[in-house]
Amino acid sequence: MKVSLNWLKRYVDIKVPVDELCNRMTMAGFEVEDVEDLSASMENVKVGRIVKLEKHPDADKLQVCQIDVGESEPVQIITGAQNVFEGALVPCALHNSKLPNGTHIKKGKLRGLPSNGMLCSGEELCLKEGDYPGAEVYGILILQEDYAPGTDMRDVLHRNDVIIDFSILSNRPDCNSVIGVAREVAVVLGEEIRLPEPSYKTSGGDIHDHIAISVEDYDLCPRYMGRVVKNLRIKPSPDWMKECLRGAGMRPINNIVDITNFVMLETGHPMHAFNLNDIAGHQIIVRRAKDGETMTTLDEKPHELTSEMLVIADGQKPSCLAGIMGGLESEITADTTDLFLECAKFRRDSVRRTARALGMRTESSARFEKGVDTIGVQYAMDRALQLIEELDAGDIIEGVIDCHNGLPEERRLTVPAARINELLGVEVPYEKMAEILNALEIKTTLENGVLTCDIPYYRDDIESRADLAEEVMRIYGYEHIVGTPMKGDVIRGRKLPERIHGDVLKNLLIAHGMREITTYSFISGKAADQLGLAAADKRREAVVLLNPLGEEYSTMRTQLASSMLTVLATNMSRKNPGGRFFELSKIFKPKALPVTEQPDEIPALSLGMYGEEEDFFTLKGIVEALLARCGLEGEYARSKEPYLHPGRQAVVTIPGREEPVAVFGEVHPSAAVRFGMNGRAYLAEIDPLPLYAAMEAKRTTYQPLPKFPASTRDLSVIADKELPIAEMEKAIRSAASSIVEKVELFDVYQGGQIPADKKSVSYSILLRAADRTLTDEECDEAMKKILASLEKIHVFLRQ
Amino acid sequence: MREQLEQIKASALAELAQCGDGKALEALRVSYLGKKGQLTAILKQMGKLSAEERPVIGQVANEVRQALEAAIAEKQEALKEKELNDRLEAERIDVTMPGKAAKAGGLHPLSIVTNDLIDIFQSMGFDVVDGPEVETDHYLFEALNLPKDHPARDMQDTFYLGDNLLLRSQTSSAQIRVMEQRKPPIRIVCPGRVYRADEVDATHSPVFHQMEGLVVDKGITMCDLKGCLEQFVHEIYGPETQVRFRPSFFPFTEPSVEVDVSCSECGGKGCRICKGAGWIEILGAGMVHPNVLRGCGIDPEVYSGFAFGVGLDRLTTTRYKISDIRLLFENDTRFLDQFN
Repeated sequence: MKVSLNWLKRYVDIKVPVDELCNRMTMAGFEVEDVEDLSASMENVKVGRIVKLEKHPDADKLQVCQIDVGESEPVQIITGAQNVFEGALVPCALHNSKLPNGTHIKKGKLRGLPSNGMLCSGEELCLKEGDYPGAEVYGILILQEDYAPGTDMRDVLHRNDVIIDFSILSNRPDCNSVIGVAREVAVVLGEEIRLPEPSYKTSGGDIHDHIAISVEDYDLCPRYMGRVVKNLRIKPSPDWMKECLRGAGMRPINNIVDITNFVMLETGHPMHAFNLNDIAGHQIIVRRAKDGETMTTLDEKPHELTSEMLVIADGQKPSCLAGIMGGLESEITADTTDLFLECAKFRRDSVRRTARALGMRTESSARFEKGVDTIGVQYAMDRALQLIEELDAGDIIEGVIDCHNGLPEERRLTVPAARINELLGVEVPYEKMAEILNALEIKTTLENGVLTCDIPYYRDDIESRADLAEEVMRIYGYEHIVGTPMKGDVIRGRKLPERIHGDVLKNLLIAHGMREITTYSFISGKAADQLGLAAADKRREAVVLLNPLGEEYSTMRTQLASSMLTVLATNMSRKNPGGRFFELSKIFKPKALPVTEQPDEIPALSLGMYGEEEDFFTLKGIVEALLARCGLEGEYARSKEPYLHPGRQAVVTIPGREEPVAVFGEVHPSAAVRFGMNGRAYLAEIDPLPLYAAMEAKRTTYQPLPKFPASTRDLSVIADKELPIAEMEKAIRSAASSIVEKVELFDVYQGGQIPADKKSVSYSILLRAADRTLTDEECDEAMKKILASLEKIHVFLRQ
Repeated sequence: MREQLEQIKASALAELAQCGDGKALEALRVSYLGKKGQLTAILKQMGKLSAEERPVIGQVANEVRQALEAAIAEKQEALKEKELNDRLEAERIDVTMPGKAAKAGGLHPLSIVTNDLIDIFQSMGFDVVDGPEVETDHYLFEALNLPKDHPARDMQDTFYLGDNLLLRSQTSSAQIRVMEQRKPPIRIVCPGRVYRADEVDATHSPVFHQMEGLVVDKGITMCDLKGCLEQFVHEIYGPETQVRFRPSFFPFTEPSVEVDVSCSECGGKGCRICKGAGWIEILGAGMVHPNVLRGCGIDPEVYSGFAFGVGLDRLTTTRYKISDIRLLFENDTRFLDQFN
């Protein structure tokens, strides 16, 4: 809410500097967002009288002016404008002056002659015709009234004002008005408030001879008040009113329009002026629009309406979008003679919905959306009529039509003062509470420690003890709240097991050189296609946003793979030589589509890596480490994810669980390209829940260190090329399980003397018995058994 | 014979002085003290001596042998040391060459900050809980004292997933779930993701993070709120930092305050960081609104409480002086590598 300091001063004395006012208002809940000193925008621009005008000897288009600027000698200024004449009063930007458009003017020479400044056009002073007559004329601004030469142009243009932009919190719609802010200023500064007391005379007649009003939808329009003014005398508003409007960022138009805007800004109640003679049937009907009805608003835009929207209609058609904007047809123009004036309360959500649906937002709709009070409608209407009389803008017809179905009753709260201090934790003296509340126009009496408070009609936000506590405290001063240590029983704060287990996994991944990433939970709707998921893939069943910021962020993710691949691609495209990443986050699985209830939010873990030293097995090593941390050993089998390399991917299962715990592998080159990658990358997707469960169940028990030495035997065998290493290992272990302690693969070799369909595999096998030192014979025997077992799967000793 | 012994000693010592390595030294030892060595050969002739001469010569021979043995041992030590020194000299390296280490991993800066806050509040007895990111209108708005037509619903542009389903725009929804499930005393924090339909720029992200705090008990006052926040602020910003309450409005707290801390950059004098104000706004807080308590079945005449909500992304960017919030979500490894 932008408020002119001069306007505020009409209602309350402000004796403190602007800085202090802003600071104190901020600490009372009215944060100052901006302060604009209008006088600072223009400096050293003065009224000058042209006493002598000559042609420039060396330039046809330049004129040399001698100008009286109130000093002992005239100053010489050269101008190219042709509309100046001797005796004219003009704005002169003197040496070292500043114009509102930011220009600095200094003296200089034009075609050899000194020029000590510049004569200004209306445009150079950022003026419009409505700001000063003749401001938009081509050439220098010729001042219309008689000012003494040397008068500061800021005084001529009423630029000695400061505009303060207060942030109005949404519980204080009453302060979207100058009076509302002035009330707060008065309390904060401890000054008296002086509000206008509207009074006016009517010129007789009867409103009912001119208009009839009916309200069909009281639920959307709790109060509607109308008055009639005849014989309009439309003309410009007086300067003081223009200045007030300009300060609030509104353009003055004519007295009638200006009065409605002024009263809206002053009281917070939007008003609307209709041309009475354009109201068909002299009948106003407040009703819902009919579906398909149309109207054109003041901004000349046509709208198609729906039955959700409230309109002010005449006998035939909608004439105004209630609380938002009037219709073009009933607009007040320079030749309008008779006026129907509206002041009303429309329901805030109705105005909001209609304004949104039509893409409109006006000063009026903004106030109705935030909420205007019902009682104040009367005051605003009276104030407007008072101004009509004061500005001699027309003849007020006797009578008011005031439609409502019951006005809100006065509200009274009784609260023990002690209960307020109990909530605050400080001892505000009870008398002080009553004093503050009374200053806030909450009429309060204190009796036996009990506050009885009559809540003003415009303070709907005050409903309870807590609200009164806030009112007291924000004026008493929050600096009185002094921190106290937490009271109560000593309790141990606990984390959820899921967070504890998740942190364990994260720490393990960090130890493997992995970096945690954070990505958005909503992803592109195209991600499933990028991954190449089959049409029936469950992961295509995703919750979508109804109002996404764009297609790119439209779908709640059902997998972390696409986010990880995007991060890998980003890093590759930036020529980062490599990286290891993980993300532990949530995925969203709808229970049904379209969604009617909350989807399941399930933790998920993804790993991604690329770079020279990475391959399938570096990733597998990390997957194994994760399982081992949870006391698990996985079974690895080939898998068929469409976005992974068909020959380099594996699915991991753990004993006793059918669902896989992980899928990982090299990224399919085609998928890599679709995500914008230009090299090999590796991806794992892990379901952390079974890992958490295993971790929860895991109990570590110490195993005694071996007492007897081990024997190592190396073994080189020839196997079918396609035979999985894991099967060979199983065969080795099963052959002599009691003494095979460790089976270490140290070489796999193809080519050379090895037949094309075979591979050579070498193991180092560690043999140990728990209760004795193994003899050579025992070891030989074990190796024989191992070979026999291998032979069953067609694996033979390499000769 | 005595002369012979003296001569052997002299020649042995002379040879020993010339001896340059372990091998030569061993050969020398063998040639004098070995089974077939010169000294041994002489000792073998001892039997030919008279009974008077034998002990005398025997003593001389022993002395010679001991002297030789000692000299050889000494030489051996000297040679060993020389060898070691030669090796050490040969093994000299350039210590300014880079070290070798497995590349370290690390948490995302947001997690680091979140974990710090969790530690602080957990140590103050707060349970760390979690809540759903997809919320119903009830938990996000109605139960937080934001009825359907409340203008404050417009304070945050919310993402909708369905009629009644939204992405939570604040972690405050978790308050309600906790108060429905637990009875006072309640002391929780809930860190998590929140969503608002803000266009992405240097200071806005449609996905960001908050931590909600809630305390409900008998006799909880606004001074307790300040005391609690002061402890947190002192841990994060240092013990000199001051906390200021400024009146504000949130539908679910009353009174509501914005909480400012004195600018750690300038100590409150006013600088570029705090835009000259001397204070930086870090969170919103207040006393739990009686309507909210009542809605969760907690009698506001008996219990009171406070709640606060901290923006974690903002805390992270200010702590690490990160100029653009988008960096948090790009995950460039050159960015991530800076946090340990």
